Amino acid sequence: MSWLISGTGAVASIGGSTDEVFAALCAGQSGLAPLRGFDRCRYRARSAYEIDDRPAPGTDVPLRATGWLLRAVAEALADAGLDTDLSDVPVIVGTGLRELRSAELGWRDGARFDAAELHFGTALRERFAAARTYTLSNACAASVYALAMACDLLDADAADAVVVAGTDTLTESMFGLLDRVQLEPPDQVRPFDVARRGTLLGDGAVAVVLRRADHGPAAARVRAVSMNCDASHPTAPDPGGIAAAIRMAHERAGVTAGQVDLILLHGTGTPLNDEAEAAALGDVFGAAIDRPLLTAVKSMTGHTSGGSGLLSVIVAARALATGRIPPTIGLREPMAEAARFRFVRHTEQAADIRLAQVDAFGFGGVNAVAVLERVGGETGTERVGGETGTERVGGETGTERVGGEAGTEPAGGGGAER
Amino acid sequence: MAVPLPAAPRPTSTDPIAVTGVGLALPGVEDVAALPGATRTAVRAAGPVQPAARLGRRGLRYLDRTSQLALCAGQDALRDATLLSADGELAVAGESVAVVASSNLGSLDTVCQVASTIAEQTTDRVSPMALPNASSNVIAAVVAMRFGLRGPNLAFTNGPTSGIDAVFWAALLVSAGRCARALVIGAETSNPVVARLLGRTAGELLDGAVAVVVERAATADDRAASQLAELGRYARRPGVAACVDQVLAGAPGLPGIWFADSRPGGTAAGPVTPRLADHDLTAAFGLASGALGVLQCAAAVGWFAAGGADAALVTAGADTDDAVAGMLLRPAGRGRR
Repeated sequence: MSWLISGTGAVASIGGSTDEVFAALCAGQSGLAPLRGFDRCRYRARSAYEIDDRPAPGTDVPLRATGWLLRAVAEALADAGLDTDLSDVPVIVGTGLRELRSAELGWRDGARFDAAELHFGTALRERFAAARTYTLSNACAASVYALAMACDLLDADAADAVVVAGTDTLTESMFGLLDRVQLEPPDQVRPFDVARRGTLLGDGAVAVVLRRADHGPAAARVRAVSMNCDASHPTAPDPGGIAAAIRMAHERAGVTAGQVDLILLHGTGTPLNDEAEAAALGDVFGAAIDRPLLTAVKSMTGHTSGGSGLLSVIVAARALATGRIPPTIGLREPMAEAARFRFVRHTEQAADIRLAQVDAFGFGGVNAVAVLERVGGETGTERVGGETGTERVGGETGTERVGGEAGTEPAGGGGAER
Repeated sequence: MAVPLPAAPRPTSTDPIAVTGVGLALPGVEDVAALPGATRTAVRAAGPVQPAARLGRRGLRYLDRTSQLALCAGQDALRDATLLSADGELAVAGESVAVVASSNLGSLDTVCQVASTIAEQTTDRVSPMALPNASSNVIAAVVAMRFGLRGPNLAFTNGPTSGIDAVFWAALLVSAGRCARALVIGAETSNPVVARLLGRTAGELLDGAVAVVVERAATADDRAASQLAELGRYARRPGVAACVDQVLAGAPGLPGIWFADSRPGGTAAGPVTPRLADHDLTAAFGLASGALGVLQCAAAVGWFAAGGADAALVTAGADTDDAVAGMLLRPAGRGRR
């Protein structure tokens, strides 16, 4: 059983489309900049990885996360050749902070606020006529959780295609709370570095269209996605829970650790996450840990919270298709626990990649791990399509209206009742 | 070299999903059979739920109120489902239990108050203990930690339909083999932040939580657990009429009761409705937001327990919302339509 990613969309501090984001990541470009929308003197950390689209410096407006979500979904639909009428297409949005920034602005600064805009269904209905929409607030694992849920929905024959998305913008409360608990304010996100000081938030939205395996062209194949919970600590990760999620993903994907070629790390640059992730990977991979390449894109995008995992999924898909692995920038000296890890550092690396693992771990001990596989021929450096790198296997385009009988999903039954 | 895919696909089970436990943390109602008939007078007279009295004080200090209410309801539902002993021991493997929470308003007070503190002072004056409560999945996380539930952990903040959506996704997790059972919890609370942002008085808002346990009927049989209801069709569609039409399509007869959403536009003008009175739980408990759907499912269980023989329809959302969700529940043991 597997599924296909037939279209992608992305918006982040470093680019406004999947092509732009991937090119920037390969070039080692960072979105780090001084805080733009918050009063900097209230915080110890003064930088973040924000999308620079506020109307004026030092001001802020509501609903930015929603706007990026709509852009990313639109790009993914176009990329997949899907109609923008999503009446019958489920949309699952993984987010850490939904529109809580808009609530902050409404509560404190008198900005217009409507509780109906806290979740993304209202905007998705207005723009795409979508009604089967779900806003899942699952912290930093949210969008990979959403991907797992989409796989299950397709397996249940409840849809022909599912849009999986993620979006988040900085909130003052989360940025401020992280500022309060991190011992020293970090100046950048330095995943797995011995001198890492913590994480900094980033803005971003991402979307993919997921189809069943028998459907046409695809950017990558999803072999499996696991979901579990540490049930251990409200904010600190548990290596045991993480290792269990990784093993579960491998088992569901029918692969062994030794077959994984590339790992997109969760890599937040916090002392706790990177230590726990390193320990879990060491536990699961054992002697084989020195085989896969590893990279952490939060080094360039910052921690984009709920959407971060799905952004790494898109990066993994591009890496599988092109053989180009973006670097982890700022990794001067890897931590001792990761001494045997083959990090891609400083500059991009070319490699023949067939299987990739994507890690996503969130507050509350929520863990989700995805295993992706290259589609197409034997070599890793295929480029099919236009000059700007619409890397797609096959060239079929055209709009498609997805969905037959609309939207009835038997709770507990399979497709037989439709 | 290609890596072969697993030989056997994982089929989604088509076995019926049953409700095997219900837990309530509601003012004025302790017995699920009394839920459908709860009155505003009785609810108001009862006073707010006291989590410390039900859970003990240990570990509650830094939890926000919705998390505390969720723990009360979750504990009772797990006990009702004979999954949790009186000593707090889980009777099954922690990995076998998923948690699915639904709450739209739960973290708003923490988020807004922290933002105000930062603006008035700096982050130095913010309490680090507020960090977990600023995350909208805190309820699901707290419940998982308290009872050792290590299966999938989902937190829906999906607007008015969120509670019914949560029950649907819990059932799908079970059918997909992700877990053997799922604890679904809807929780909301009223406080000055919520009241102001919603333009309501505190008294108009639910302060409570409801939980149900869902698992395959066959799994319940295997461990000799009682089945309280069976889950039927679910839909999320634009508008009440479209939703009700979809959920009831092909049903052998009309439901015996309809737990509807009372807000403007909450009652449809379709062929079904003149023949089926809608029963509004928010009249007694207040606007329930993300908790409404779970409250409605528990009320359906209560209606069956009191002798309701036909199916129960639940819908949440109004024509003016982004969508309406609905689900049909049947008395236990009737099998699929």
